[in-house]
Amino acid sequence: MEVIAPRSTAPRREFAKHVEEGCPYRDDDVMAPEKGVSTGTTIMAVEFDGGVVLGADTRTSTGQYVANRASRKITKMDERICVCRCGSAADTQALSGFVQFYLGQHAVELGRPPAVKTCANLFKIFAYNNKDRLMAGMIVAGWDEKSGGQVYNIPLGGSLIRVPFACDGSGSGYIAGLMDKTYRPGMSKAECIEFVVNSVAHAMARDGSSGGMIRTVVITKDGLEETHMEGNKLPFGP
Amino acid sequence: MAPGQYSADPKRHTLQPIVTGATVVGMKYAGGVLLAADTMASYGSQARYKDVCRLKKVGNYTLLGASGEISDFQYIGDLLDELDMTDFLQEDGCHMGPQEYASYIGRVMYNRRSKMNPLYNQLIVAGKKESGESHLAFIDHQGTAFQEEFIATGFGAYLAMPILRNEWKPDISLEDAKKLAIKCLQVCFYRDCNAYFKIHVATCDGETQEISEPIAMDHYWGHSAWLKKSLEGGTLGVNESW
Amino acid sequence: MAGTGAGYDLSVNTFSPDGRVYQVEYAQKAVENSGTSLAICCKDGVLFAVEKFMLSKMLVPGTIKRIFPIHRHAGMSIAGFLADSRQIVSRAREEANQYKSVYTDEIPPEVLAERLGNFTHLFTLYWSARPFGCTVLFGAVDPETKVPSLFQIDPAGLVYKFKGTAIGKGKQAAKTEIEKLMANPDITCEEALVHVAKIMHKVHDEKDKDFELEASWICPKSNYQFAAVPNDLLKTAEDKAKEMIEAEENED
Repeated sequence: MEVIAPRSTAPRREFAKHVEEGCPYRDDDVMAPEKGVSTGTTIMAVEFDGGVVLGADTRTSTGQYVANRASRKITKMDERICVCRCGSAADTQALSGFVQFYLGQHAVELGRPPAVKTCANLFKIFAYNNKDRLMAGMIVAGWDEKSGGQVYNIPLGGSLIRVPFACDGSGSGYIAGLMDKTYRPGMSKAECIEFVVNSVAHAMARDGSSGGMIRTVVITKDGLEETHMEGNKLPFGP
Repeated sequence: MAPGQYSADPKRHTLQPIVTGATVVGMKYAGGVLLAADTMASYGSQARYKDVCRLKKVGNYTLLGASGEISDFQYIGDLLDELDMTDFLQEDGCHMGPQEYASYIGRVMYNRRSKMNPLYNQLIVAGKKESGESHLAFIDHQGTAFQEEFIATGFGAYLAMPILRNEWKPDISLEDAKKLAIKCLQVCFYRDCNAYFKIHVATCDGETQEISEPIAMDHYWGHSAWLKKSLEGGTLGVNESW
Repeated sequence: MAGTGAGYDLSVNTFSPDGRVYQVEYAQKAVENSGTSLAICCKDGVLFAVEKFMLSKMLVPGTIKRIFPIHRHAGMSIAGFLADSRQIVSRAREEANQYKSVYTDEIPPEVLAERLGNFTHLFTLYWSARPFGCTVLFGAVDPETKVPSLFQIDPAGLVYKFKGTAIGKGKQAAKTEIEKLMANPDITCEEALVHVAKIMHKVHDEKDKDFELEASWICPKSNYQFAAVPNDLLKTAEDKAKEMIEAEENED
């Protein structure tokens, strides 16, 4: 942002345009934060009877360069709630941090694990109130005593929509049809894992911004189970 | 920024909707009001969510239908729920009805557009308070607000309004009103890229207020001209139609 | 200066040498001068009742309320300074509203009671503040499980959970009666109404002015929402209660 200071009379000599006064990033910097590290991504979550399965690829890129080939895009919010993040890594990390803080406080006051919808709503509050400033898409999924396994999607504008399964990130567009074809309501846990791994693998095979491994998380009333599938052992591709 | 300083860049708000809903149609019928909307929320031209309800009950006498940004619709819904709560806490037996909610939303929308930060919706507020008059109002993101006998929002303003003008009659029966609404949304489904064939229909007659389960509309593709073969044995370059 | 507290009773932030905070105790005294207020947790909901003195024959019945809705499934009955209690009522409503808009669920009664306890307690800590001259009975029914719960919050900021309790002038006698009533764990709000009316009429001191019985409930009859007990039901219950009292007196 260029700042005009009427009180200072001396004209300021601009050699380089900075992102903001005092900010070390130059506008023409290849690492300019607005271009930033972004999780061009494939993430998804599916609800099944008794829990949810979350999945994500592991590629994080800055422009063309793979900044991290084994990144973790699924973040734990509570013992039985996780979030898949996509969009700007900085934004979604900050958001997750805030929500972890508020959800933690809430859990202490409540004296029992918080509801998945509560977590999703906290994300929504931040996403909606700062929609002009954020590039963040979230899939919140988990299990709670009252409503069982649930998946909530919070897309760019900050709406909150419950869905039986959600997919987001740059890769999601390539597999929308595949998911419509292979998704069946009432799948078992094993079938859900297969559905997630297969879908994400196909997205990674077609989306340049997605790739690497597939990480999956299964959440049931018994807790959280984390698995991964190495990049050379995918059901399809790379 | 220090006091006295100002930015050369204007402050910008997001001035475009992201996840959006298409048409809502609303009309009065003999003894009540009706709203109908399809179940889709689009992400640009992508059909993103196909099982979303864009109609909402507010209080006991009012229905709200929204096209445009879904997050803003949810926000407005929360605002109205809070208003309904203050009504409940008052314990005076007075409750806001469609007229009150419509003018409230009108002020909210105008206020936000005046701050250059509009809520990106076109809304229909419909309702009837006990034996009172039926009420149907339109409000948009600029704060434009008016009442009508029948209204269509979004692309439906172009597609559905002519049909409503031709076919709506005062004291139309509930059954005919439902048919008419479905006819309008059918046309929207044919000719609006972001419309869908599953819809919700909501009614309010002063006593009850209800939103239907999703209804799958019929659609027709059997016109003989469309199914006639035009390539087999046809002359090169002389097709009858595209 | 030489009151009962020998000067240690002027401020809420000075302990007396024997470790008491007189102002808080005086506030509790203010509650005991008030008309009786009671609430009970029945099998199917919560029932509130308040004895309201008719200060003047010219007073319009129902003009002063002592039971308030907090949110759709919770209410509060008051003993003590009504004006003071309004602070607690509006705070409770704010907390309930804010909790719901942030966490989407309705505020658990335990949490709200505890927050109100903290709020009340703040007014016993600073010299510039006066403790609330009222005690409140806060009752709620969980909209999902339909489990009722009841809390008492006093001027000191203490929070108690009860099955049924009474505050105000007739609290001792009322509590004894409530204990007898609650011996039946299966009693419903509707069944309890007549007994509660009877308790209120029994504990009413003849020396006091006439009183009006105000009652509200959260039960199946009110669709599990907070609502005033309908006038006709209340009237019938009161009439029946009076008959019962008369019959008992004739036996003696």
